[in-house]
Amino acid sequence: MTAVLEISNIRKNFGGITAVDGVSFDVQEGEILGLIGPNGCGKSTLFNCILGQLQPSAGEVKVDGKVVTGFRPSDLNRLGVSRTFQLLQVFPKLSVRENLILAGQEHQGNMLSRLLGPSDAGLTKAAEQMIDFFKLGHLADEAAGGLSYGQQKLLDAAMAFMGGPRLVLLDEPAGGVNLTMLGDLKARLAEINREKRATFVVIEHNMEFVMSLCSRVVVMAEGKVLAIGTPAEIRANSAVIDAYLGH
Amino acid sequence: MNFLKRYWRVALGMVVIAALIIAPMYLNRYGLFILSQWAVMTIAAMGLNLTLGYAGQVSLAQGAFVGIGAYAAAIITANGLPLIAGLGVAIVLCFAIGWILGYPALRVQHHYLAFVTLAFSTLAFLVFRNESWLTNGIYGISNIPRPTILGYPTNRPLPFYYVCLGSLALVSLATWWLIRSPWGRAFVALRENPVRALSLGIDTRRYTLMAFAIGSALGGVAGTLYAPLTQYIDPVPFNLSLSLDLLMMVIVGGSGFFFGPFLGAMIAVLLPEWLRFTQGYYLMIYAVAVILLLIYSPSGILGILDRYLTERRTKAASALRAVAKSGLEPAP
Repeated sequence: MTAVLEISNIRKNFGGITAVDGVSFDVQEGEILGLIGPNGCGKSTLFNCILGQLQPSAGEVKVDGKVVTGFRPSDLNRLGVSRTFQLLQVFPKLSVRENLILAGQEHQGNMLSRLLGPSDAGLTKAAEQMIDFFKLGHLADEAAGGLSYGQQKLLDAAMAFMGGPRLVLLDEPAGGVNLTMLGDLKARLAEINREKRATFVVIEHNMEFVMSLCSRVVVMAEGKVLAIGTPAEIRANSAVIDAYLGH
Repeated sequence: MNFLKRYWRVALGMVVIAALIIAPMYLNRYGLFILSQWAVMTIAAMGLNLTLGYAGQVSLAQGAFVGIGAYAAAIITANGLPLIAGLGVAIVLCFAIGWILGYPALRVQHHYLAFVTLAFSTLAFLVFRNESWLTNGIYGISNIPRPTILGYPTNRPLPFYYVCLGSLALVSLATWWLIRSPWGRAFVALRENPVRALSLGIDTRRYTLMAFAIGSALGGVAGTLYAPLTQYIDPVPFNLSLSLDLLMMVIVGGSGFFFGPFLGAMIAVLLPEWLRFTQGYYLMIYAVAVILLLIYSPSGILGILDRYLTERRTKAASALRAVAKSGLEPAP
């Protein structure tokens, strides 16, 4: 296995506060890695440093062996790195189908061909497949803003896969999603991982979701890595139990 | 009945186009001037709608771009070159200046950006007024010729109205293509959520600059028609109040709606004329009508229609879902 993502000594300071403090880990191809820790421990800040939304104060990020530290999010996306956000980030006025087409269109041709080519950038079929895959078929023509929270979460996740990414970083995908939809979401993620060999990093507080989906888990506390291991090892780790999981 | 239901939009469009072609044949010079002005201002407002309505970038400089286009056309035609050359220069000039003006939008937004564009508007006005060697200053440029197209002179008001209408049709088609293309979708993404847009691979910097440049170029196109329409230009019509008028047209018609500028320009250009029978009160009535409209519907006239259609679609979709859940057959 080769590392798709390598993070070395990432640090992020906000004034006098160090939100992420020398974090290092690798993510192997085809792996689903969980990233857990108490609120405010720096998980989302680390995501933002990896994805170019924030400039790390120190450290290095590599994707497929290439240094991408400080790359813009759009450049990283075109390299095959996609993400979802902690809060809902769909485009409320566009329909479900248009949201998905938008999510994939920048991977089709160049700017000129996108202007002169078909209005759907040739993505209607791919969008329909994604809609069916995420069981949103009955909502395809509805404005995304009119969907329930859980449905928007599914759409948000579906959008992350439209560009055919190699690496997807999911920030609390299960937050606010009901149990039925959560099961659907987990099944969909596992299927994409299995069939497309897509690599995931998942931030999540739902322990059942993380422990059953991920093959390895990184635990963060106060900006640092507290432990890395399989779900069973993490469950048994006394430092993790004390800092996060509880007795 | 079903046929009518399906094609009512096409039918309505055909009726409006036919009316715009036939009705002006029976208008006097002044009526034709007003209608031509509506077509010209609609083009300028379409440009601003692209920048503001679709891409979400505030601009108070659209009037300045109309001025740049008008001066480009006036100077070039005064030197014996055809209007089409003026159009080319206006488009290139406004596109380039609009692109440069877009750079501040990469750093500042909303009212800060409004102030940057306002400063540019003032700067352009000062150039029109003070650089007499180029613009003839406060004396302006007169006797601007109207073009001859395929051997047909358009000096008379009706032929020139058709030039304006034809230009509006071409600009409308190009804009329709643009907003339905992936670029249009990227502009909307830029307006609604630039952070998410960036994470989806959308180069927000390039699209922001494009939105400014294309919108400004349309302002230049409008200016190129404005100069031969009035046949005399001076700096005054291109001061800040034109930019504010154009902003009002976009907002009143419906910002971010394709037909918003058509309606907005109609209200801004034609309504004051229709209200002239109220004599001294017409501007007051006009102002109160605009205030009431924006209180009732901040998304403009087309926002009212959009709300109604969205509610209807949502109700229909909810009903269908309820029927699907109940296992009953939906009504044909």
